[in-house]
Amino acid sequence: MDRLTSWIARAVFLFLYLPIAALIVYSFNSSEVSYRFDGFTFRWYAELFADRMLLEALRTSAVVGVIAALVATVIGFLTAFALVRFRVKGRAFFVGAILIPLIVPEIVLGVSLLTVFSTAGIPTGLLTLVLGHVVITLPLATLVLMGAMSSLDPSLTEAATDLGASPWVTFRRVLFPLLRPSILAAFLLSFTTSFSNIVISTFTAGVGTTTLPLRIYSTLRTGLTPELNALGTLLVVATLGVILAVGVSQMRRILAGPTTTP
Amino acid sequence: MNETTESPAVKLTGLTKSFGANQVVQPLDLEIGRNEFFSILGPSGCGKTTLMRMITGFETPSGGSVELDGKNVDSVPTKSRDLNMLFQSYALFPHLSVYENVAFELRVRRTPKREIDGRVQDALALVRLQAFAERKPAELSGGQRQRVALARAVVGRPAVVLLDEPLGALDQKLRKEMQFELKRMQREVGITFIYVTHDQEEALTMSDRIAVMSEGRVLQVASPTEIYDAPASRFVATFIGSCNVLDGAVSADGRGVVVPGLGELNAAVPADARPGSGVTLAIRPERVTLSPATTVAATAPLGGVAGTLVERVFLGDEWTFHVRLDSDVVMTVSVPSGQAAAALGAIPDGAPVLLSWAAADARVLPADGSTTAAPSSAPLSSEVSA
Ligand SMILES: Nc1ncnc2c1ncn2[C@@H]1O[C@H](COP(=O)(O)OP(=O)(O)OP(=O)(O)O)[C@@H](O)[C@H]1O
Ligand SMILES: [Mg+2]
Repeated sequence: MDRLTSWIARAVFLFLYLPIAALIVYSFNSSEVSYRFDGFTFRWYAELFADRMLLEALRTSAVVGVIAALVATVIGFLTAFALVRFRVKGRAFFVGAILIPLIVPEIVLGVSLLTVFSTAGIPTGLLTLVLGHVVITLPLATLVLMGAMSSLDPSLTEAATDLGASPWVTFRRVLFPLLRPSILAAFLLSFTTSFSNIVISTFTAGVGTTTLPLRIYSTLRTGLTPELNALGTLLVVATLGVILAVGVSQMRRILAGPTTTP
Repeated sequence: MNETTESPAVKLTGLTKSFGANQVVQPLDLEIGRNEFFSILGPSGCGKTTLMRMITGFETPSGGSVELDGKNVDSVPTKSRDLNMLFQSYALFPHLSVYENVAFELRVRRTPKREIDGRVQDALALVRLQAFAERKPAELSGGQRQRVALARAVVGRPAVVLLDEPLGALDQKLRKEMQFELKRMQREVGITFIYVTHDQEEALTMSDRIAVMSEGRVLQVASPTEIYDAPASRFVATFIGSCNVLDGAVSADGRGVVVPGLGELNAAVPADARPGSGVTLAIRPERVTLSPATTVAATAPLGGVAGTLVERVFLGDEWTFHVRLDSDVVMTVSVPSGQAAAALGAIPDGAPVLLSWAAADARVLPADGSTTAAPSSAPLSSEVSA
């Protein structure tokens, strides 16, 4: 029984990581077709950095992702604070309402966003992309921050006020340091959600603001090139870098606790 | 700083609070003096915390006003009021060391840097925690956290510190120690303490004055001895310490109280009491003398009552005797353990006994309109004697 479960675990692991491993291996494959490994090359990386359209799409996705994640985290923080701390009238309604964009099929959101934008006469472009992505990332950020905030003792902020702190000082000296891991988590979750989104982007992107997933999707018509493997490999490396950076700072926090005794 | 000695540290005028239709603090007037250790005592839910939060400014009163040091602070926000609150949960900042927790107020209020260290060290010395300055709150015991919270509350030298059941989370032994510590520190720093508790013993041992609250109303404000010896109402009498209460009416000659089924009893009837008016008699268990009924003939005390000894309970420092009177009311008598109690050891349970007391020890209180029910449950329900 134990052997069986350990084999299953290994199989799952393989299933999860084999595609990533293949991606990395084939990004260095000198053959143009993926069923043959001919030899080692950096050619696809060179082509990638020469592909202006793809780089432009990468830049658009990064910019939209950062702005949408920032907006979602800031508004999410304030929304979560209001919902957790104050006896707002209709609190249960608001909490439910925040979840709705997570449940409504994205395609429906996409159509309705486009309707709103065209009715309001807003041309599709960077602004509409960011707005569209905020709609789907705000609920995530709010949920993450609400969870973290409701586990904080409400008298901490009152104590800070009592000791003479303004709301801003209370945020900077008490709330932010205590909630930093959750704020970071909310930001990263929002960013990756935005970065990989395809449905909302289809409706809200305009000419010249094609996002990376849209660009990749459109190249399917002409067939996948190993150039995309190279791009994928770079994204995996970037992700690992973020995880390591966050992980290391988290580790330091955990270790810093008991080691401050003189 | 306005140093007129006349103005009290805190003055509340007609202060009241409602949550929706629920009036949790009835309009109340209160003056708390400088350097006073003032306790607010009352059962759970009577509005103690709400009253404190109105003084700090966390809660906006529905009516009335708050004055601190003679100045109206109704429109002054919490952060600018010259007072600090010690929360029941301590509310220490978990990410800051003990030192930084205590220094928080000084840093936020931009105290000159060179002053900060000295004042933090002084505050830590006051609570005897200098050795723990670099620890995080999570690395402290409950009692130590409580002391950090106190150091943090007094480091800015506020005129008033409000403490909301600060010892509630500590065990019995630590509570006792901290009661003395708190009292010592309050005397040392010379700050007005407003101390909320629902522990009557705590209030009696520590306070200069006590306000007894019930259902949003302040029933009596007086010194601990006065609250204990001269309670103003039946609620105060039974809430502070244990107390025997008997319902009756002032006798025709105005010198005693007639209790149905027991006849006329010895009592300190006020001169202005109208004969025949309904009153409540309150007698502390330790002021009642218990004697075997056989000695009645020899030393029959004036106004004594006969009864039957039901049971006796040993509490360590004292014995409690339960005596059923002819009217079926059970009275409690407490006798310090030792010779006096040993002498009563010969009386078997079920034997007839005689209870007596000095007239001055039987307080005559206005009858509570609501409590015409048999009073027998009152002495039994408050067995812990002060
Ligand atoms: N924000 C609020 N909204 C509505 N009702 C409240 C609020 N705060 C307190 N109350 C009610 O007011 C009453 C008094 O509460 P309060 O916390 O002042 O009692 P307390 O005397 O401090 O009790 P305890 O000894 O249990 O702490 C309670 O009935 C409580 O339910
Ligand atoms: Mg309370």
